[in-house]
Amino acid sequence: MLEFMTILIIKTLVAFTVSLLIVAYSTWIERKVLGHVQLRHGPRRVGFHGLLQPIADGIKGFFKEELIPDNADKPLFLLAPIISIGAAVTLIVIVPFGDKITIMGHEITLYLTDLDVGILFVLGISTIGSYGGILGGWSSGNKYGVIGGLRGSAQMISYELSLALAVIAVVMVSGSLSLIDIVNSQTGLWNIVKQPFAFVLFIICGLAELNRTPFDMPEAEAELACGFNVEYSSMKFALFFMAEYCHMFVFAALVTTLFLGGWHGPFIDGPHWFFLKCFVIIFFCVWERSTFPRLRYDQVMSFGWKILLPFGLLNILLTGLWMLIFNM
Amino acid sequence: MELVFLLICGGVAVIASLLVIFARSTLHSALWMVLSFFMVAIIYVLLHAQFLAMLQVIVYAGAIMMFIVYAIMMLNLRQEAKSKVATRISKVVGVGALIVLFLELTLIGVSHNMATIQGPVTDKLVATYGRVAVISNFLFSDYLLPFEVASILLTAGVVGAVVLAKREK
Repeated sequence: MLEFMTILIIKTLVAFTVSLLIVAYSTWIERKVLGHVQLRHGPRRVGFHGLLQPIADGIKGFFKEELIPDNADKPLFLLAPIISIGAAVTLIVIVPFGDKITIMGHEITLYLTDLDVGILFVLGISTIGSYGGILGGWSSGNKYGVIGGLRGSAQMISYELSLALAVIAVVMVSGSLSLIDIVNSQTGLWNIVKQPFAFVLFIICGLAELNRTPFDMPEAEAELACGFNVEYSSMKFALFFMAEYCHMFVFAALVTTLFLGGWHGPFIDGPHWFFLKCFVIIFFCVWERSTFPRLRYDQVMSFGWKILLPFGLLNILLTGLWMLIFNM
Repeated sequence: MELVFLLICGGVAVIASLLVIFARSTLHSALWMVLSFFMVAIIYVLLHAQFLAMLQVIVYAGAIMMFIVYAIMMLNLRQEAKSKVATRISKVVGVGALIVLFLELTLIGVSHNMATIQGPVTDKLVATYGRVAVISNFLFSDYLLPFEVASILLTAGVVGAVVLAKREK
């Protein structure tokens, strides 16, 4: 029992440290890649090629002045960043980094837990997390904030549906809701080959759920002056920021797990493949941000409901037919 | 251990449900309701019904409450409007209904022995197929008709809501 607890605690600490380091350094990747795409250098001053920039940003966040607007709904204003970061960090629990390994005679699994309903857990907790941004916008008593929050909740409702439809198609071919089983079912052939349409659907809806650029309605800088987090300063703002990048890491991990075969790869299976694929997806997120302009709000809504949703339903229907005909 | 968790979650759920009624701001009411749903989901986990718990979080605490929060923000209901609905008769009827419901539940609790109730989802089936598979097997074989009837009812409800909303134009 004691041994089990020790292993569990060490595993949790390592998993969370590694994940949060990736989260911190994905801000560095974002600034660096965006800089080079726009023919700038990005951060360079702090450390070698700005490598210490995320740490400097964190320290700066702590020392900044904290402001709470007079007409803010104070308890909700304080609660909103907590919900955001809490839900985002909770999601790390189910990320499957790798399979079992043996260290000093102990068999250790490279994931914290194998939930029976893993993928549903992700969907549920990420919805709870999106309350953070919405409440933050509402409670700050700022009209830009309220509009940002409103847009956030409408977008969440619309795209969550199509995201779930993409996931259902994957669950159909894998035959399980558990993320570990889904990875194991892709030993020979990755799901991106079996479910190319679901992959595209998942990427689009995932970007919308992440509020990333073609879909960053809640914080459209040019229209809403940063939207839901406009009144937040110092560490509270940093928490929102961290939650966003944490979601990006979880999204990358999910794409890797659901479609790109998780820790499987040529030569030796292992966590190195997982991290490599994750970085490719994170790079993709930054790349598309610097490529696409922001969509108009009504276009985002009609695209979600009139194109993605029927497309997702059709994909499930075709997958079902395929499985019926070829008796899989 | 389980009992302690059950008491904490149940207690928080009851208090949160009361606060839904008593909170002054409409949005706060909605959020207490989210907390209450979430606590009920944890109780489902304690009953080893993870699938139901996750659906509770996704459908109720997530989607439905998100819609309600959206409506509250859209209509900008910052403070509760002075309610004129609560007349004397409705208060009397409400308290009466509460007492009847409470008595009914206590009566059922006392007269039936909950521990002996057997459902189709048994430990043995769960051990062989896994929880989700057992539920879906029953849902799509033995309980197919009720399941389909319920989905038709829900679809009819959606269509009805659209018709009602369109009529005003």
